[in-house]
Amino acid sequence: MSRLDRSRTSAHQLRPFFSSQNLLNRADGSAQFDFGGSSVMCSVVGPAEVKLRDEKLDKATIEVVVRPLVGLPGIKDKAREQAIRETLEPLILSGLHPRTSIQIVIQTMKDDGSILATAFNATILALLDAGIPLKSILGAVTCIVDSETNQILLDPTTQELANAKSTHTFVFDNKSSITSTDNKQQEDKESVDVATLYSDSTGLFSEEEYFECAQICYKAAQAIHGFIRTAVQKKLEKEQQQIDS
Amino acid sequence: MATPAFTFTPSTFQKLHPAEFFRRFTTEGVRPDGRLLDAFRPTTVHHGVISTANGSAMVRIGGTTLVCGVKAEVAEPKLDTPDQGYLVPNVELSPMCSSKFRPGPPSEQAQAVSEAINRVLKESKVLDLKDLCIEEGKAVWVLYVDAVCVAYDGNIFDAALAAIMVALNNVRIRKPTYQEGTIKVSGGSTANDENSFTLNLARTPLSATFAIFDTTLTILADPNVTEETISEGQISITLDETGQLCGVTKIGAASCSQSVMKDCVQSAKKRTQQLRNIMNQQ
Amino acid sequence: MASITTEEESKLLIVLPGDQLPESGLMEDSSAAHRLTLGPGLAPMDDDSITAVKAGILKHNAVGNRWWVESNQRRYVAAQGESIIGVVTGKSAEHYKVDIGASQPALLGVLAFEGATKRNKPNHNIGDLLYCRVSMANKDMEAELECMNPTTGKADGFGELKGGFVIKISLGLARRLLDPKNLVLRLLGQHIPFEMAVGTNGKVWVNSASTQHTILICNAIRNSEYLNSGECSAMVKSLVEKM
Repeated sequence: MSRLDRSRTSAHQLRPFFSSQNLLNRADGSAQFDFGGSSVMCSVVGPAEVKLRDEKLDKATIEVVVRPLVGLPGIKDKAREQAIRETLEPLILSGLHPRTSIQIVIQTMKDDGSILATAFNATILALLDAGIPLKSILGAVTCIVDSETNQILLDPTTQELANAKSTHTFVFDNKSSITSTDNKQQEDKESVDVATLYSDSTGLFSEEEYFECAQICYKAAQAIHGFIRTAVQKKLEKEQQQIDS
Repeated sequence: MATPAFTFTPSTFQKLHPAEFFRRFTTEGVRPDGRLLDAFRPTTVHHGVISTANGSAMVRIGGTTLVCGVKAEVAEPKLDTPDQGYLVPNVELSPMCSSKFRPGPPSEQAQAVSEAINRVLKESKVLDLKDLCIEEGKAVWVLYVDAVCVAYDGNIFDAALAAIMVALNNVRIRKPTYQEGTIKVSGGSTANDENSFTLNLARTPLSATFAIFDTTLTILADPNVTEETISEGQISITLDETGQLCGVTKIGAASCSQSVMKDCVQSAKKRTQQLRNIMNQQ
Repeated sequence: MASITTEEESKLLIVLPGDQLPESGLMEDSSAAHRLTLGPGLAPMDDDSITAVKAGILKHNAVGNRWWVESNQRRYVAAQGESIIGVVTGKSAEHYKVDIGASQPALLGVLAFEGATKRNKPNHNIGDLLYCRVSMANKDMEAELECMNPTTGKADGFGELKGGFVIKISLGLARRLLDPKNLVLRLLGQHIPFEMAVGTNGKVWVNSASTQHTILICNAIRNSEYLNSGECSAMVKSLVEKM
């Protein structure tokens, strides 16, 4: 089955993704992440000086600012800020930098659907670039259930989102698979008991649909994890090439 | 010689190590307030509590109390949707309900809850906005749904969604007539069907929220404010009367396996059914 | 799953946050005393596993069975014993306040200079550039600095940097500049005589006979970060030829 954006042939295919790190000169860490026509830029400043009002004695203060594509930030952006902060706060080892601030600014550059997932991926790359100590990395994917075909479509475009019966965004950390101890046994089975770090679903859907979406997104998130690893590896190899030669 | 043991009262213990204090209870399968881990707090629902509003409700879940009022006003429709009215939900968390909220513009939490409810109402197509049309391209109803929290003790999302759904079910609006650029709204009582109408709601989504405590993934149904602060994440599940899901949200530190999510969905089904029974008794 | 195998020694061992170090690998070449020293980028987790918390290259030193992650970042976090370059931003009767690019300004005691006594104190003004050593660093307190070698009491090259020019680079590049075999510095030295001080906080001070030369050196250092050795020689060559 071909997708509405015509570049993809399968329902469970992600759009080509792309990232680059260390783009901004003045930030301590920055990254851009693209899912096809969607692009999000993220900058991280920290651990930096903290305003006395926000100072926490035992950990870093984490501030997330989400900027929309056009116009001023609205209530939707505030809700996104909360979702991203509450997911990242426990992931960042903020106890290592008490009485400091870590500011994360997320700017949408191009919007063609799946912005929240793109923002999550851009943010983790920027945090890695800034060298903020983290418990693990994460990968985020969005999928929809199409209202006409009832098919699950991965990484939807704006056009596909308009046709969605329900929309699901999932975030998985790279420890998700470790929680199931018997790896061999688990992998043999069709469905792995996946552990979600963040999940957000709206629309109308059945229990079966929800868990099927989780499975499909989990598999796709593994590709994102692998991609992040490759991106970091490429950057490090470039830095090290003078020493090795 | 035995060294004197260092002791302190339970209330001091609770202040010093809130999580450890709590853990002592959960390992025994209960919570400090006497509830079992999967028990929801006593819930009461009243509708029609504000006589000047088009629809209203008061919902109390344990120590959390919300009053919700719906006000209908006439407005011009948007150019790209000339036959659709507006539904504007808003949740207010003022300093009145808890000292953790500051006066001034709405807090991030208030905005996030408002947005979450707005999405449930919109995405699960609770109300056809075309029902709010008076005259296409000229006049439509705008429903301001304001839920004000008067006492905050956790689980604001469940309480706010329930209050808003009860209030919307309770709405009565006088039938308008549109004539040559002016809208006439008939006077008199709204109590009968002759000169007023009710909203035709496609479904009534209700939610159940669970807190995830500890790395052992202890699931606490209907967390109160202390449980919210020590928990490592929350799961909210929204269902309509047929058992169809209208929303699932999971945030926080603890990774949550699918079997835990499945248990929560089952528990949420029971809870929302119980909530529906309470609503219908009124 | 993200556990690491130490089989391929020749390849760089890249770790990401969340990657667990296998217990067997950590202990294999340790002596009878099962001691393990964890450096930056590694931390023990709640479940007793050793986990990477930064993205970088896993490094190991058999002496003392030390493990650490070599990572790169731009923001400095003070660590004891490192040599850094800071700017005086304030002074009081007992301390200078020095901006070292970390989350908080560091303190430099007015007596932490060679031969300084209560009567005879060096006088530095706001805006002065100092090359100093971190004498104490702690996550909960402001870092403390000194401008002398604590064992000998001699200046050992620490002190005010006069003239010249300062640039800010990434911490990883600063560490690589400290390598005596560093390529770009060797190449530059063949053409231009210059003096420099490298702070591990990512600040580099360069001074030479003329401003043009100083700027050329700064640009060459900045450009060298992502180049391989061939590209690096070509870059330095073209910059020198343009002079």
